[in-house]
Amino acid sequence: MRRTTAAAATLVVLATSFAVPGQAQIPGRLRRVLEGAGNVARTLLPISTSKEVEIGRGIAATIAGRYPVSTDTALTIYVNLVGLAVAGEAPRPDIDYRFAVLETPDVNAFAAPGGYIFITRGALDLIESEAELAAVLAHEVGHVNRRHVIEQIRRSDAMRAVRSETGLEGSQLDRVIGGGANVLFMGLSRTDEAEADSIGVELAYAAGYDPGGLAAFVSRLESHGAENRLLELRASHPAPQLRLETIQRVIRNRGFSGGETLADRLRNFVPRRGG
Amino acid sequence: MRRAVMLAALLAAPAAAQGQRLQWSDAVYVPGRWQGGRLLRLATTNPATDTLALVMRVDYFANPPRWRAEVRRSPDGTAFGEPEVIIGSGATAHVATPLGATPLEQHALARDSLVRAALAVLDAQGRRQGPASGRIVERASSGGVFRVAFRRTARTAQFSDDLLIVPGSAPGRRLIASGIRNVGDQRSASVVATAGARGVDQVQTPRGAVAVRPDTLAIARMESFSVGPARLEEFLRAGRLGPYGTRVQPEGGRP
Repeated sequence: MRRTTAAAATLVVLATSFAVPGQAQIPGRLRRVLEGAGNVARTLLPISTSKEVEIGRGIAATIAGRYPVSTDTALTIYVNLVGLAVAGEAPRPDIDYRFAVLETPDVNAFAAPGGYIFITRGALDLIESEAELAAVLAHEVGHVNRRHVIEQIRRSDAMRAVRSETGLEGSQLDRVIGGGANVLFMGLSRTDEAEADSIGVELAYAAGYDPGGLAAFVSRLESHGAENRLLELRASHPAPQLRLETIQRVIRNRGFSGGETLADRLRNFVPRRGG
Repeated sequence: MRRAVMLAALLAAPAAAQGQRLQWSDAVYVPGRWQGGRLLRLATTNPATDTLALVMRVDYFANPPRWRAEVRRSPDGTAFGEPEVIIGSGATAHVATPLGATPLEQHALARDSLVRAALAVLDAQGRRQGPASGRIVERASSGGVFRVAFRRTARTAQFSDDLLIVPGSAPGRRLIASGIRNVGDQRSASVVATAGARGVDQVQTPRGAVAVRPDTLAIARMESFSVGPARLEEFLRAGRLGPYGTRVQPEGGRP
């Protein structure tokens, strides 16, 4: 690890010392090698938990700026309890997870770095049991656990000018936050989504829920697929059929069965619309 | 050759005391209630009393015989202060500071009965005593409730063993200092929303570019919102979740 860091530092020094004044005289191939070295070094730049939370707070504020955060205290408490039940099974004690409901009919959920997790009222309207809610929140916890957005940020152009974490302040930090918000709204990679689905099933099951919760919810997404309120979710996530294959593979391979569904408890806090 | 034998002996010695690598948190309550930033303690023999006040959270990282306990006190029953870090090996413990380490017995923390109780959770080999999850009631010699801990154990312990290094060497000291700063920074009450000065942003969405004014107040409310470990415990119990699950648990206590 120390050797990797030292090598990266050497590459940075090489890349930066050649970068500006003599660039025109460096042969094309060598220049590409040095630029490549700069890119490798950039992707190695670590982001600490405290900086992750700082970035996440900014991204969360952007999400809350787009959709108002619900002031329904009973619902917020309930969503936090379900979220904390699954987050308690996640291996990142350095993160304080927080959950909130967004008042929009759009069906979606978001996980900003640092543990800021949101689910929309539209998604709650589609959910039929606490096991489904737990699985959706656990999927989002999975994104935070695996630092999916932070890893996207580390690879982004916004980090090109950042040589150390201390440089991630002011307008540079704003750019990173803006980029992170775009990643959240436009969608993560299929690999990241599949990993979050897998973690979602595992965390929900570990917390004691029926492992079929996520599959039930994703199946319902498929049956409502043409609706406008699912437009952004559809555009930012893999096709439901692909997700179902991943989810069912995890359940089958891990031999998951049993657990609580708690449909009635959900209905105490999330009444059916019109009911 | 002789050096190799000595190394093998050194490696073998702690192996005998090694146990399961674990990571867990205890939310610690005492009978009483918070009033205007002051803790009013009550005497009770009923461990189910609803007048419990949250006084600290202790995060444990153990790879027996080595362990680490991060103690965060609550000034009001909702927020937590900066961590006090205690690192040990078996029954030996040091309080880590940014400048180094002090043997626990020479430190003021050793006179704190709640800290002593928090460390008594570990036996002389650095292994956890008591259940993996759930409510743990400890009584004083008089029979009254001394403290109630709500325990949650992480499903998998994923921490660097560097966290268990007692400061003394320079690299260890740096790691400890950086650990304190990282955890402390994120929970510090002085942390403010970074996007506060930002105006209207334009974000890309599948519906096209959308103008957004970041709502930092909503996030501040989200951060100050707390359900509390006792309520979570009751929620888990009522739903037969977590440690109250009905599913057959494999050895080790967690699915």
